[in-house]
This record gives sequence, structure tokens and C-alpha cells, in this order.
Amino acid sequence: MTAALIFSFEEFALHDGPGMRVTVFLKGCPLRCEWCHNPEGQRFENEIIKSQAGCENCGACLKAGGGRLNEKSVRACPNRLLRMSGESYTPEHLLERLRGVLPILNDAGGGVTFSGGEPLAHPDFLYECLALLEGRTHRAVQTSGYCEEEPFRHVLDQTDFFLYDLKLLDPALHKRYTGADNTPILRNFRILCDSGKPFITRIPLIPGVTDTEQNLTDIARFLCDNGVKNAELLPYNRLAGSKYASVGRRYAPGFDETVISQARTDIFRSFGVEPKVLWGDHVD
Amino acid sequence: MDGLRAELLSKSETDDGSHADFYAAALQTVDAALDYADRYCEFAKTNAPKTLYRALCRVPHEPPESFYEACVFLQFIIFTLRCNRNTHLGLGRFDQYMLPFWRSDLKKGLPEETLFETLEEFFISLNFDTDIYQGMQLGDNGQSLMLGGYDLDGQDRYNELSEAVMNASLELRLIDPKINLRVCSKTPAERFILATRMTKQGLGFPQYSNDDVVIPGLIRLGYAPEDAADYTVAACWEFSIPGKGAEIVNIDQMVFPKVVRRELFDHLEACDSFDELLEYVKLGVAFDAGEIVGKRSGHHYPASPYLSVFIEGCVQSGKDVSEYGAKYNNFGAHGVGIANAADSLAAVREVIYERREYPKKTLLQALAANFEGYGELRNRLLSCPKMGSDDDRTDGIARILLETWANALNGKPNGAGGIFRAGTGSAHEYYYSARNVGATPDGRKSGEMYGSGFSPSLTGKPTGPLSCIRSFTKYDMTRLVNGGPLSMELHDSVFRDEEGIEKVAQLVMAFIRLGGHQLQLNSVNRDVLLDAREHPEAHRDLIVRVWGWSGYFVELDKQYQEHIIRRTEFQV
Ligand code: SF4
Repeated sequence: MTAALIFSFEEFALHDGPGMRVTVFLKGCPLRCEWCHNPEGQRFENEIIKSQAGCENCGACLKAGGGRLNEKSVRACPNRLLRMSGESYTPEHLLERLRGVLPILNDAGGGVTFSGGEPLAHPDFLYECLALLEGRTHRAVQTSGYCEEEPFRHVLDQTDFFLYDLKLLDPALHKRYTGADNTPILRNFRILCDSGKPFITRIPLIPGVTDTEQNLTDIARFLCDNGVKNAELLPYNRLAGSKYASVGRRYAPGFDETVISQARTDIFRSFGVEPKVLWGDHVD
Repeated sequence: MDGLRAELLSKSETDDGSHADFYAAALQTVDAALDYADRYCEFAKTNAPKTLYRALCRVPHEPPESFYEACVFLQFIIFTLRCNRNTHLGLGRFDQYMLPFWRSDLKKGLPEETLFETLEEFFISLNFDTDIYQGMQLGDNGQSLMLGGYDLDGQDRYNELSEAVMNASLELRLIDPKINLRVCSKTPAERFILATRMTKQGLGFPQYSNDDVVIPGLIRLGYAPEDAADYTVAACWEFSIPGKGAEIVNIDQMVFPKVVRRELFDHLEACDSFDELLEYVKLGVAFDAGEIVGKRSGHHYPASPYLSVFIEGCVQSGKDVSEYGAKYNNFGAHGVGIANAADSLAAVREVIYERREYPKKTLLQALAANFEGYGELRNRLLSCPKMGSDDDRTDGIARILLETWANALNGKPNGAGGIFRAGTGSAHEYYYSARNVGATPDGRKSGEMYGSGFSPSLTGKPTGPLSCIRSFTKYDMTRLVNGGPLSMELHDSVFRDEEGIEKVAQLVMAFIRLGGHQLQLNSVNRDVLLDAREHPEAHRDLIVRVWGWSGYFVELDKQYQEHIIRRTEFQV
């Protein structure tokens, strides 16, 4: 039986696909986008999350964990500042967790969305979950598209809707800002387009990185070449760094956070792609 | 009121003398009110706009003939009742009894905008001088009104005036009147969307009540079906029949966590199984319900002849409301802290009985010590599934407690010609009655507040609004129609676009379809609340829902501010 760590459920997710949805966040991602706002979704291993305010430095956590922070520390903290980031679920266990709310989601034209982290980094688990939900609800996957062709095709079969991120078309820049090669991402994107499955493309507008004229033009052209007619643009959220401290890391993006995202909807329109700018600070 | 006066006179003349006191007193109060009206009219002659003066020349003596006069009349009645110390009287089904005036004015050719302005002026007037009303806190004045509703044959009574009231409230953004909306599984989606726009304002209303549940529930309690279909809220959330009831809807409360704690200390060590323990808790709940019946039966309140003249049955029978002259004289009591109680028992079952992780004695010692030195045990208890997370086993315990409560109270004669009825509200009891109750096994520390009304505790880990509405709709709510809503806080960002508003509306519809009885949503932003606590001067106009009413955040006592902030930890 497969299992995966889930680090969050968002009930009543409003922007993760059609209708009212529950979004399931799988832990672990092969990319390291500099602007990632979900650092607890990056590592595949479970980790301790520590709330920043309220620590009295009493040391109870380290004592219980034998000098380290671990599951024993979580229970020991008298101020309840610690928790494990992920909880392990099997597909059956997940279905149990969702079963009661599925009728509500279905009545409201929604369903379940798998996000992360990178859900495709758990292809077997993801596939089994999707297969279990088949016929029970509408299934969406939110992905960076980074995975082998074979598992991608496999998951594609069991998914009703994709939210597909495109970040940078230039391979070198992609590598530099996300740590990964974008070849499989673009390949899988073409496979998705050819499949005829409904999807929405999402483009994060990172100031000076992805929102450049060059990159937006490249993406718009790529969409146009693949017959894609619309896209969602996500302005950079300046709260992106707020969770890093709780996983014991520092947020150090290599771009200027204070610059406001450029949406440049004109570029998309010139390629026949209708852009929708999601909520957030931006200039046109 | 001249007609009323004439009726009182003729009644007193034909009366055999046994109700002479009542008629004399009633006449005296009506005369006093009319006298006051005359003085007011005289004053208005030189000090008020012509329209008001002209209206006062007719009402309250004569029946109103226009919507404007009806509003003046209504304001007069409200004011004089307050002066008579009849507090927490709701405005009832405003969109029904005011509709004839609204329609006839339209027919007479009055532009709708003029009527709408009158309506808004009336609402604004309800926000004046509210400090003369007795309430727990400023804002707790019972000025609630009910919109919509379905007849027994399913006919929808929501009308153009209901819509106008909604729009006026949307436009004015004032805390009075508080809007209640009767809905059911057939209510069209657009109405929920309009109502969600109102929720977006952050005033904490409308509060929804579900006709599919409340009407059958009231009929089960013995209300005549046509009266049940005419229900409104008394002031906060308790359902009552306008003009026909002199009911004390919040006469007492049964504090679930207190019972659980008591039974644990008395019986935990002797009980070999959880079921055995649960039996004791059930007995405890029934015992406390019995205490309420014993203590409150035959409760008398002071005679109130002026109020009585407005209640059907009193003038006819010559009996004051205090002599139970009204058609309905029931007493309501609320079960407080259900989530803390169910969570506590679920934790005892898991940690003590099923997994045997701690000895019973340790648990009792930890509770007695208010978890001082038992932090690990407390963390363990806190990690058990809570009511509000759609956990069937925890919710199953809640069901048993609620059924026991309803069975023990509903229908018991109250010595006042009526019965008792069980509810799920808490009002300020989430704070008051929690103060004296020691630590409970859900992880709640001594004196910590309970959840508000029929809502998750403040101690559990939040799951989400869908699980929450599931958790709170698994019960036969027709047995709990003394009322008391599920309250949920949604982050204000949810409401920022049309799509979000539509989805919140769908959430409400799901709750209604699932058979919830009453729902109240809040649009809040925790950061704003925290800032308002620190810098009240910058947030004078911040309005929040407190329990059955909304008020200005900065004017609330500390403990209520605290409760509202803690509640927001559960928002999405
Ligand atoms: S146990 Fe909690 S309060 Fe104590 S040092 Fe660790 S995190 Fe801080």
C-alpha cells in the first residue's frame, strides 16, 4: 500500500479549480523555486514546525527529543508551539477523511484538488487517490509539470482538470531560479494539450524574474503555439517568506521583493491568449 | 390604539369583575402612552418636520395609513415598550406586517425611492439612544427582525419589502436592526448570494434559520402548525411566535462540560468501560435538566399590562402575561458548551479506555491540578478528534448528549401553562458559566471559555468550514428549536470577488440541505481585530458579532474581545 505525507488540507479552497473544493497538499517537491511560499511542502521528510511567538526557551522540547527536535518534542512543549508538518495518509485513509464532505463539494460544482509540494512527485499515491475518487467527485491536480513522461500520462488518465504552472521558458533561467530543468515540464505540457483534458495555465509573476517582457512573450507564444486560449497570472505575494522561520530556514530570494509584479496582459492578448490576473498587487 | 382602548373599555364593562385589576391597569398604561404621544405631537408641531407632525396627528391614535405612518407607529410602540422595561423584544416579521402599507403606498403612486428612504430613516432611528436599553453590552438590545419564510403549503413569503430591507441594511451598514432570514432547501440561490453580500459587510448578519427544521420542531413541541409557520426570533436566536407568546426563552442553562467533569470525578475510577461512564454522564445531563424544571417551574415575572395589550389572548381573557394570559407560555433553556463536552468524552474514550495511555487517576489529578505539570497529557488530549472535524465518533457522543438533553427537557410542564424547550444557544454563558468550571479532558483549562452557541470549542485544532458544517448537522435539530446557531468565521478575503461570494452562498445552502437549524457567519480579519484591541481609537467603527447580536468591537468588555479573537483561529 502506498502512503504519502499530507501537510495541509484546505477546505473551501476558492482558487484551485472549478466550484467549491478541498485542496490536499502533498509534501515534497523536486523544485526549489526561490519564491516558494510553502517551504513546508518542499522536503519529502517529515519535519518539525515551530511557531515563532511564545517560546520561553524552557528546553522541554530538546530534553524530550534527546537533544533534537522530534515527535517526542511535539508532545513535550507546554506551550504547544511545535507540530509535525506532515501526516501520513494511505489513499483509503484519505478517502475516509474526505467522504463526508464530497456530497457538499459535488452539489456546489466542485471537487478535490491535489497540490503540494509537487503531487506528481508521488505518482503512485496520487494515481491511487485519483482512481479511488473516480466517479465520486471532480478531480483536479495542481502541478509544476515536473515529472517523467510515463507517470504523467498515467495520472493524466485519472484526472479531470489540471492547474498547470509555467514559470520560465528559458532553460538556463529556469534552472537557476527553480533548480530544475524545464524540458520535462514543457514536454508534459504538450502532452496535456494534446490530450484534450481541460486545464488552466498559471503563471507566477515574480518581479524581475518571470514577469519580464522576454519571458512573458516566450510563454504567450508557447501557449499560442499549443492552441491555448487563456491563462491566469498570479502577482507575487509579499508574504511569501512568512513561513520560512517556522521550518528553521531563512527566506533569501535573489530578486527584489519590493518591486511590484508586472502583469503585461497586452502581451498575452497579442498572442490571442486571454489573461486573468488573480488577486494581488500588480501593475499592467 | 384608540380601538384598543375601546376594546379594553368594553371588555372591562362586560367583565364580571374578576379581571378588573388587569383591565384597569391596562387602560392606565394605554392612556399614559397616548398621553405621551399627545405631548410628543404637540412638541413636534414646532420642533419637527411637517411630515412627522402630520403623522403624529394620526398615529398612534388611529391605525396608520401609509408606510411612513406605520414606521412612526412602530417606533412609538418600540420606544414605549422599552420605557416599560420590556427588553429584548424583536421586531418580528417586519416584511410581512409592513407589506400592506408598502404596497398600498406604491399603488397610490409614491415612488419606490421615497419609500426606501423612509425605510432607511426608520432603520437609522433604531440606532439612536440604544444605550437606554438594558443589555449585557452595548448592542445587545434585541432589535432583530425576521425576513422571508414559508407557509405550511410551502408558499414563499419573501417579497419586495424583504428585498428592500436587505438592500437598506446593505447600504447602511448599521448594527440595528439585526437581520434574520428564514430559508429552506427550496430557497433560490440568488437570495443566499444577496445575503452573503450582507455577511461580507462584517456585521455578522443575516442569521439564517431553516424552515425545514424549525417549523416541524415547533409543531413537535405543540405549537399550532399555522403558528409554527409564523415563527420569528425573539431577540437573539430563540424561535417564538410573534404576538402570541409570552415565553421566557432563556430562563436557564445546562452546562454540558460541568456535568462531564462532575461525573468524571464521581465515577471514572469505578467505570470499567467507556459506555458505563457515558451512562453516568447521561444520567447527569438528565439530572441537571430535571433541576432546571424543578427550579424554574411556575416562574413568575412582574406584571406587565402594557406588554399584555399587544399579546393575543391577554385582552380577550383579561389576564396579564404574568398570569399566563398569552397563547404560548413556554420556557426555553440552553445546553451550553456541547463541543467541549463531546470533545472531553471523546478524549477520555481514546486516551484512557481504548489506548490506555494514562491511568484514570493521572487524568483526574491533571484535571484537579489544571494541567499544571501535566503538559504532555494535555497535549495528548488536545490531539484527539474534536467536534467540528467531521469525526463520526466524536459527533456520535455529541448526538447522545443532545438527545439526552432534549428528551429530559422538551415537553416538561413548566407550571405556567406551558412547557420547557431545549436549545443550543449560549449567549454570554460561554464566558460566565465557564468561569467556575475547572479543567476538562478536552484540554480546556479551568475557566477557559467555551465555543459560542452551537459551535466548535476554542481548544481544538481547526479543520475547515466543510467538516464543521458536517459535524454540526448530524443531529435531529427539530428537537432543539429553542435555537442557538452554529457560528463560523470566514476570512474577509474569501468575500473579495463574486466567485467567493457565490461559494460562501453555496456553503450556506449545504448547511441548510444537511438539516442544520440556524447559522451565523462572520467575515473577519484577525489582524484587524488584534490591531483594534491595541489601538481602539483607530477602529471605532469596527463591528463584530458577539452572540445573538452585533456591536462595536472597541466598546466590548475584554473577555468578549478575547473570545472573538480566539474564534478567528478557526477561520479559513
Ligand atoms: S518546549 Fe516549547 S516553549 Fe520550551 S523551548 Fe521548546 S518550543 Fe520553546
